[in-house]
Amino acid sequence: MSKGGKDRAKAKRIVEQQKAAERRRRVTIWTSVAVVAVLLIAGLIGWGVLANQEKTDAGKLTTPSVAVDDGTAFSVGTGTVVVDLYEDFMCPICHEFETATGPTIKQLISQNKVTVRYHPVSILDRASNGTKYSTRAAGAAAAAAVDGKFTEYHDVLFANQPQENSDGLSNAKLIELGKSVGLGDSFSTAVNNGTYESWAAKATETFTARRYTGTPTIVVAGKKVEGPDHTLPTTEIFSQAVSQAAG
Amino acid sequence: MDMRQQRARFTAAWPWISTAARLGLAAVFLIAGGLKVTDLAASGRAVNAYQLMSYDAAKLVGAVQPFLEIALGLLLLVGLAVRLSAVIAALVLVIFIGAIISAWAHGLQIDCGCFSKGGELAGGRTAEYGTEILRDVGFLALAGILLVKPHTKFSVDGLLMGER
Repeated sequence: MSKGGKDRAKAKRIVEQQKAAERRRRVTIWTSVAVVAVLLIAGLIGWGVLANQEKTDAGKLTTPSVAVDDGTAFSVGTGTVVVDLYEDFMCPICHEFETATGPTIKQLISQNKVTVRYHPVSILDRASNGTKYSTRAAGAAAAAAVDGKFTEYHDVLFANQPQENSDGLSNAKLIELGKSVGLGDSFSTAVNNGTYESWAAKATETFTARRYTGTPTIVVAGKKVEGPDHTLPTTEIFSQAVSQAAG
Repeated sequence: MDMRQQRARFTAAWPWISTAARLGLAAVFLIAGGLKVTDLAASGRAVNAYQLMSYDAAKLVGAVQPFLEIALGLLLLVGLAVRLSAVIAALVLVIFIGAIISAWAHGLQIDCGCFSKGGELAGGRTAEYGTEILRDVGFLALAGILLVKPHTKFSVDGLLMGER
């Protein structure tokens, strides 16, 4: 090859290298822009879905007439010490607490020592194969409260608690249990229409906004009661907290 | 085999190692986001459980996060701007690790919500923060590989650069 030919080949190679570099630069810029755009759009979708959900929930919200504490709880008893109980009807530890300490609570209510505010919450909807048992059960409990049978229905729901990660109880079963404690047609209609399901979501939001994260959350006179190492308090610990609060 | 041959062989292997890292990281984000996207309220509660922000902020983060994770997973899956995607993935993972450390330091008993909707652990179960952090550090290593060697097989990047 002549000297001129060599130079030309070299020049050609340099031009090609420059072209390739230019292409890489362009591709890098535009793919980066695309990545940022995709992530922005994804974020906006999430925001939009949330806003839409909240609007729908707010539109459907029916607060049970008898609910207390910003419309989030059902009050039982007239004692001076206020006990707040946050429970999910799907939660096995709540069942454990009801079995162990429920009788003591009933006694304290009848002795006029405590006012118990039951807050049904639905944080375990994921544990019922998409049937949202926690929400349906909490809504049914609200319907029972409106018809004056909260305690009875609360107890029968825990007595018939379904396994976690099962389908939960069907609406028909929820109604059947209602009938067994003397609830009638208005209750059945409310369960079938899911009248109080948006309310259950709202009550759960209030629970979360109060920085509570798990069920059962047991609060005596404004103070959270727990066993050692954040475990479930025994009946003894619970009773102590109540007598302390009573002074 | 002399040194040069060894190095050449290693250079040839890098795109394959990076490809595995890319697809692995894509799967991590797609699964993490997919598990949360079906219940945004629960995702918001999981964020709230870390007690790092107000509940209103946590709700927003909880709703946006699964969509971001899925988007990031898809970007890694197709291999678009791999280095940038890896940087973002690494940043996200560092934030997650920081949040877990904060929960640990504050003695919170929560599920990290990494591959679930999280929340407080039921009685009797203890938080496994060490394991969770270790796992996230592993994912961070995958992002690190892509950061250093973003050249992968079967990527949109490669296609656009005119590679075969």
